[in-house]
Amino acid sequence: MADAEVSLSPALLPLHLSPTHSAAPPPPASSSPTTFSCPSSPSSASSSSSSSSSSSCSESSSDCPAHHHHHHHHHHHHHHHHPRPQLQLPPPSNSEQPSSPSASPRSSSPSGSIGSTGSLGSSASEGIGSSGTSCGGDPRGPSPPLDVISEDAMEMDLGGDQVIDPEVALKACQEVLLKVKLQNREVPEQQQLDNKQQRDAQPQHQHYTDLTECSSPQWHISPDTSSIKEEEEDEEEDAEKQGSTSQQCPRPSARPESSLVPSAASSSSSKQSWLLRLFESKLFDVSMAISYLYKSKEPGVQAYIGNRLFSFLDSEVDFYLPQLLNMYVHMDTEVGDAIRPYLIYRCRGSITFSLLTAWLLGAYSSDMHISTQRHSRGTKLRKLILSDELKPSAPSSNAPRAVSTSDSPVSSPSHRHCHRRHNSSNVESSFSSTVPGPDSPVLGEAEVFVSPSRRTHQRSKSDATTASSGPGSGLRRTGSNPKVEAVHEEPERLRPQREFVKSLLGIGKRLATLPTKEQKTQRLISELSLLNHKLPARVWLPTAENQHHVCRIPHTQAVVLNSKDKAPYIIYVEVLECENFETSAVPVRIPETRIRSARSAENLDCGSAVLAANANAMTSEHRAGSFSTVPNYDNDDEAWATDDIGQLQVEAEAQTSSSDNISQFSVDSITSLESKEPVFIAAGDIRRRLSENLAHTPTSFRRDPEDPSAVALKEPWEEKVRRIREGSPYGHLLSWRLLSVIVKCGDDLRQELLAYQVLRQLQSIWQQERVPLWIKPYKILVMSSDSGMIEPVLNAVSLHQVRKQSQLSLLDYFLQEHGSFTTEAFLTAQRNFVQSCAGYSLICYLLQVKDRHNGNILLDSEGHIIHIDFGFILSSSPRNLGFETSAFKLTSEFVDVMGGLDGDMFIYYKMLMLQGLIAARKHMEKVLQIVEIMQQGSHLPCFHGSSTIRGLKERFHMSLTEEQLQLLVEQLVDGSMRSITTKLYDSFQYVTNGIM
Amino acid sequence: MYDEIFAKEDPAKNNPRFWDELFLMKVNLEYLESKLESVDGEEVQRIQDNINSLFHHCVQALGEEHQIKVVNALQTLCALFRGVHQKNKSTSGFDIINMLMGFDKAEQRMKDLMERLDSLLCGDGSESLKSLCLKLLLCLVTVTDNISQNTILEYVMINSIFEAILQILSDVSSRGQHGYDAVVLLALLVNYRKYESVNPYIVKLSIVDDEPTLDGMGMVVHQALTEYNRQYKDKEEENQGGFFSTLTSMVGSMFIADADEKLSVQTNEAILLALYEAVHLNRNFITVLAQSHPEIDIATTPTTPTPTTPTTPLGTTPPSLDMMNNPELPLDPNLQTSNLLITFLKYASIVMQDTKDEHRLNSARLCLIILTCIAEDQYADAFLHDDNMNFRVNLHRMPMRHRKKAVDKNIPSRPLVCAVLDLMVEFIVTHMMKDFPMDLYLRCVQIIHKLLCYQKKCRIRLHYTWRELWSALINLLKFLLSNETTLLAKHNIFHLALLVVNLFNMFITYGDTFLPTSNSYDELYYEIVRNAPGLRQPLLYGSVILCLPVLRVSTNTGQWKEPASKVTHALVNVRAIINHFNPKIESYAAVNHISQLSEEQVLEVVRSNYDTLTLKLQDGLDQFERYSEQPKEAAFFKELVRSISLNVRKNVSLNTLSQDVLLKEFSTIS
Repeated sequence: MADAEVSLSPALLPLHLSPTHSAAPPPPASSSPTTFSCPSSPSSASSSSSSSSSSSCSESSSDCPAHHHHHHHHHHHHHHHHPRPQLQLPPPSNSEQPSSPSASPRSSSPSGSIGSTGSLGSSASEGIGSSGTSCGGDPRGPSPPLDVISEDAMEMDLGGDQVIDPEVALKACQEVLLKVKLQNREVPEQQQLDNKQQRDAQPQHQHYTDLTECSSPQWHISPDTSSIKEEEEDEEEDAEKQGSTSQQCPRPSARPESSLVPSAASSSSSKQSWLLRLFESKLFDVSMAISYLYKSKEPGVQAYIGNRLFSFLDSEVDFYLPQLLNMYVHMDTEVGDAIRPYLIYRCRGSITFSLLTAWLLGAYSSDMHISTQRHSRGTKLRKLILSDELKPSAPSSNAPRAVSTSDSPVSSPSHRHCHRRHNSSNVESSFSSTVPGPDSPVLGEAEVFVSPSRRTHQRSKSDATTASSGPGSGLRRTGSNPKVEAVHEEPERLRPQREFVKSLLGIGKRLATLPTKEQKTQRLISELSLLNHKLPARVWLPTAENQHHVCRIPHTQAVVLNSKDKAPYIIYVEVLECENFETSAVPVRIPETRIRSARSAENLDCGSAVLAANANAMTSEHRAGSFSTVPNYDNDDEAWATDDIGQLQVEAEAQTSSSDNISQFSVDSITSLESKEPVFIAAGDIRRRLSENLAHTPTSFRRDPEDPSAVALKEPWEEKVRRIREGSPYGHLLSWRLLSVIVKCGDDLRQELLAYQVLRQLQSIWQQERVPLWIKPYKILVMSSDSGMIEPVLNAVSLHQVRKQSQLSLLDYFLQEHGSFTTEAFLTAQRNFVQSCAGYSLICYLLQVKDRHNGNILLDSEGHIIHIDFGFILSSSPRNLGFETSAFKLTSEFVDVMGGLDGDMFIYYKMLMLQGLIAARKHMEKVLQIVEIMQQGSHLPCFHGSSTIRGLKERFHMSLTEEQLQLLVEQLVDGSMRSITTKLYDSFQYVTNGIM
Repeated sequence: MYDEIFAKEDPAKNNPRFWDELFLMKVNLEYLESKLESVDGEEVQRIQDNINSLFHHCVQALGEEHQIKVVNALQTLCALFRGVHQKNKSTSGFDIINMLMGFDKAEQRMKDLMERLDSLLCGDGSESLKSLCLKLLLCLVTVTDNISQNTILEYVMINSIFEAILQILSDVSSRGQHGYDAVVLLALLVNYRKYESVNPYIVKLSIVDDEPTLDGMGMVVHQALTEYNRQYKDKEEENQGGFFSTLTSMVGSMFIADADEKLSVQTNEAILLALYEAVHLNRNFITVLAQSHPEIDIATTPTTPTPTTPTTPLGTTPPSLDMMNNPELPLDPNLQTSNLLITFLKYASIVMQDTKDEHRLNSARLCLIILTCIAEDQYADAFLHDDNMNFRVNLHRMPMRHRKKAVDKNIPSRPLVCAVLDLMVEFIVTHMMKDFPMDLYLRCVQIIHKLLCYQKKCRIRLHYTWRELWSALINLLKFLLSNETTLLAKHNIFHLALLVVNLFNMFITYGDTFLPTSNSYDELYYEIVRNAPGLRQPLLYGSVILCLPVLRVSTNTGQWKEPASKVTHALVNVRAIINHFNPKIESYAAVNHISQLSEEQVLEVVRSNYDTLTLKLQDGLDQFERYSEQPKEAAFFKELVRSISLNVRKNVSLNTLSQDVLLKEFSTIS
């Protein structure tokens, strides 16, 4: 229970703390940006819609408790109170919260038991699945209302032509789940409340509808006919003529999922309800969802989870994106189908997500055989994404089509309703307008889902047009509205970023052909300077946290990193943060030289003062644009500006007064010496100052042509930022930030990504368990199976560089950098060192990280060590030379920094490791799951052999008692320390690669 | 038919289609020009109407769809301009305007002409036609020796074709074909009455900030200079290859400066002028200097300028859409990355080798002026000193007796400023001759001074072998002193001496802010001390008197008294150093019974005796006079432009574009 709570988003936490108010949904204001971030959503920013959605949230929260009790009858009431039962998806997380109060007391099962529910889940889904596969109407469980059955059956018949098996199965499965709930539901009153809640929740549901419209009608369970036909045909007609229209609907499609969610009420029933309750409890987090998605063989369960993905925060799901995509690529169709709608929905919503997905799909597909690869799902989806057809609706294309669609017989009845709706509800109109427009390609690709939604499409398009023509539509002012974006964004919304990345990777490839580091660096700089010409642009660094546009690459700062035959390089990137990467305007380019005062005007001679004035007058229009972007320029404490002014003044004097050829200033200085008291200085002082100044910068590394990155990486980040900011024409802007990224070409980063995920998972586990282990997972961006980007660790240099540059032992280096043993700074650095050592020792042990030479271990300015390069993990090790048999790297130098074998800090180190191992063990499943899923279909060397997962599992030592664990840690530490192989390996590296 | 024009009557009187037919005929330039020349004063009055009419119809014909007519009209116009000017060298510009167009209609005519040319240049028409337009403009601009006396240009000022020129430069293909002419034309137009009136071209050039355009301009200059460098190198190799030339390697440079060479220097003056105007007027152009290109080998790829820059200005269109049109730099590991500045430095190193010839002297001067502008620019200084932008710059060095030509010297990759300093040192060392180029020396020392000021201000510790500079400067002082009397007849050597001494003062008193190592400060003292007067140590050779001669002159009365005393005052620290250390060194030698002190020993003495030495702090050392073209350089530029004009006029040949080629081209078009 505690686990689940922690894993929930922080915004939710306080809510759980108030038991009286049964799990209120998160404050809409805070949650809406994430939950509703889909660009196709009708603008959470717009005042009208946001207010309505927020009100709905609050209402729903108050209604919630009652809600599940009265769910029983809700299908009856739908007829009247469901104003727009569009194709509905599972409710967003906040509407889901209602179920938690009831769920929490019962299902207080810790995560361990969840792991064991795997069997439970499968058995549960057994029933579901069997009923599901038997297709259509009858399989609904215990006591379905008769009318529903017949209704469903009829629907099946009517729409049977288009029905495809998995889809049916899914639907059926969900229906079964529903039936279970319905059956278990006891309290039949308060339907009104129920309905009200539904209605209130709609604005939220609407956000998900565009997805369903485009591709996934199968998600929608149809508890009652009225809602079905409403959705299918005329959204508005429900109130008036449900019964009559029921015939028209070809298939059951949608039903507000919210009705399903709160249904887990009684515990009377079997495993099914257990599973159901688990799924609906707040404990059910993304991690579990992924796990069940992977383990469950039941299409129904998979489909349900696929559906549930929508209810999680984007950021939470994003973490598991590699797993999702690997499953999509390598697992069976059912899983793929279950995930696909979510992926498509997110791709529509975000350029970033689209590209990440496309890159990862490409990378994970690469392990397939070339012939199968071409036709694989992953490749197809990748093509679809890259074809850029998954974009939010384009209003321009709507306008012409509106005429035809509104004339079509299908839409005619709805036409009237649309208008009415526009008049009545602003929110709805803006919503409907966000329905994606370009149906053909998407649908063509996803034919499975097409038929039922086609009409809806057309209609919604006509809706859109009417909406945009309507006076009150809040479309345009919304920040996140895709239409606004589409207006000024050219059709190829993915292209700038793709080409940006392509250019960077291309540079890397070309650099690799150059023989020397010097040439590489020169070429890098010149290539980047050309790239600079195209900036700013709508491109971003995928490793960054915040939304931004890249505005400039300070090309001279880029350096090539140490690598034997590849040419990874680090670039620094100036960005301007913005509200929304996709919609905010791209910053205006400022010429490089704009950093200084306007020299062109100053330098014109003589009559040119007039002339310059004229120039300003003549071209004020021309210049206005460029100058207006830097209005604060003069206010900047730019040393140059003031200097220039000073010089100018003197210069002016000189011009007026001096007639001879001798520099006025030299004359001045001499005459002043004659007249004034001369100032004397001692030559010794100058010499001393020189040496002092030189000695004052001992922490900076010397320039080494063979290791150009050492200097660049050693420079404190703050200083680098300040320096680059000073030299940048964009530096004065408040939103200016400096980022950096390592571009790697020719390296497979998929293992790195896996390691990153494991590290992140362990980090959060340790945080959750309050074990002060320190690790620094650095972000990895896989762009293909042999290229990608890495987020550099700031303020860190490798131990190799430390040693080579400083010629000191590690301890002495600590003393030099942080002060003597007793100082606060040293003690802090030492503590950091110990905590990070413990963290990485565990990581190295658990993941079997090899190739641990000093070039792969960084030391940051605070004393932390950071391991990089996870090229050899799990089942793979370098060259099988038998080196590195120790569990992790612990040299005597490390021990020295910790204060020796008997020191408190060393004991602390071991204690930390024990605590960390205990904590990690507790959550082993979460770690295992990440690795296990990625093993699917993978040819990565880390999965070599058959025992990878088993080995990993064993290293968690689930069976040991804590005392035994403690012993184990002792042994590990002892073994690593005594292991001469570490040392041997270092010298081996030195001989072969010149790494100290 | 030409004769009919030179008849009294209106040629169209008898033949209404006269003008149409005229432009269908091949232009006989020589005949037309000579005809115009042969007309004498009286006749002019008579045929003026016809000439006006001809001019008018020429302009009209430019708008014709028929390309042959356009070509012929362009050529006729050219002949008209030339002929009229040749005839009336002495007459005022107004008469010429009157003769060509008639006063009352001149404004309209020229407006039409410029508009037509503008649309021809900017249109999608034939490239040859564009080329011809530029030739016509060049012809028009250079008809007078002194560009400022060319009154017709007043109309070119009013009806600017600046935008058309820029468009040519910004487009890759048109830049390749017409870039050179366009740049020269621009350089000349900028110099029209630049000191007397408001020249719109100056104004416009100074505010261009479109990077593709500026880059294009840089590329044209870059190519021209590269081509020159390549030619020079080829010749040099040729000369060195021969048996004969090895014998006469001393005079090898004289062979290089043959007629052909001079010619190429002359043409390059126009390009240099363009570079100067761009650097001087437009601060955005500074970035172009550092823009890296792969070294272009024109011999192999004569037509395609390598980097293709996008034509769309950034910011107006979605910029990254053309990201992939990114010019992929050719992948030759042996190809050095280069940029305009490097090429320029190489060029300068060639030009400055020999300054005896006037064109070369002018070129060298212009090079130094450009370097002065660059050294004053903060942004340029920033990238000159950028530690991350390292290049190997192979400067050309004059073959000299006492040193081997450092051909294969492996130049380390260093910040660009090192190359600039090298160039300055090279110049200082190689031009101490009787015909002392004082002006160039002054500029040279000032450039060094400006760079030092930047380093001091920004606390940049450049890892440069300063000793070479110090020794060059001291040698320069020695030279000045030993040739004092002869030099004083022509120059104020004290000004130069003062500048040099003040450079030393900067090192002495502010060395702590920008010297790279502690040792380098010791070496500075060593360098000063070992050249000091009065030292009897045989090791310390070259004991040329450093201070006393100046003192000697300054004690004399006369016109040099004041400047000489300034130098004396500036020398106070140098003298203090010498007076302080010399006895110490001598006593050290005496105590240790060493007749010859090694450098290390001298340095040891220096190190251990700092504390008893007091220096005088001189202020104003890090201030300098900023470069200004007016009034000091005005005369130089006037002359330069005149010479360029003459040269361009000589080389603009409309006939180079043979009619046949044109006809062929047009026949395929139509």
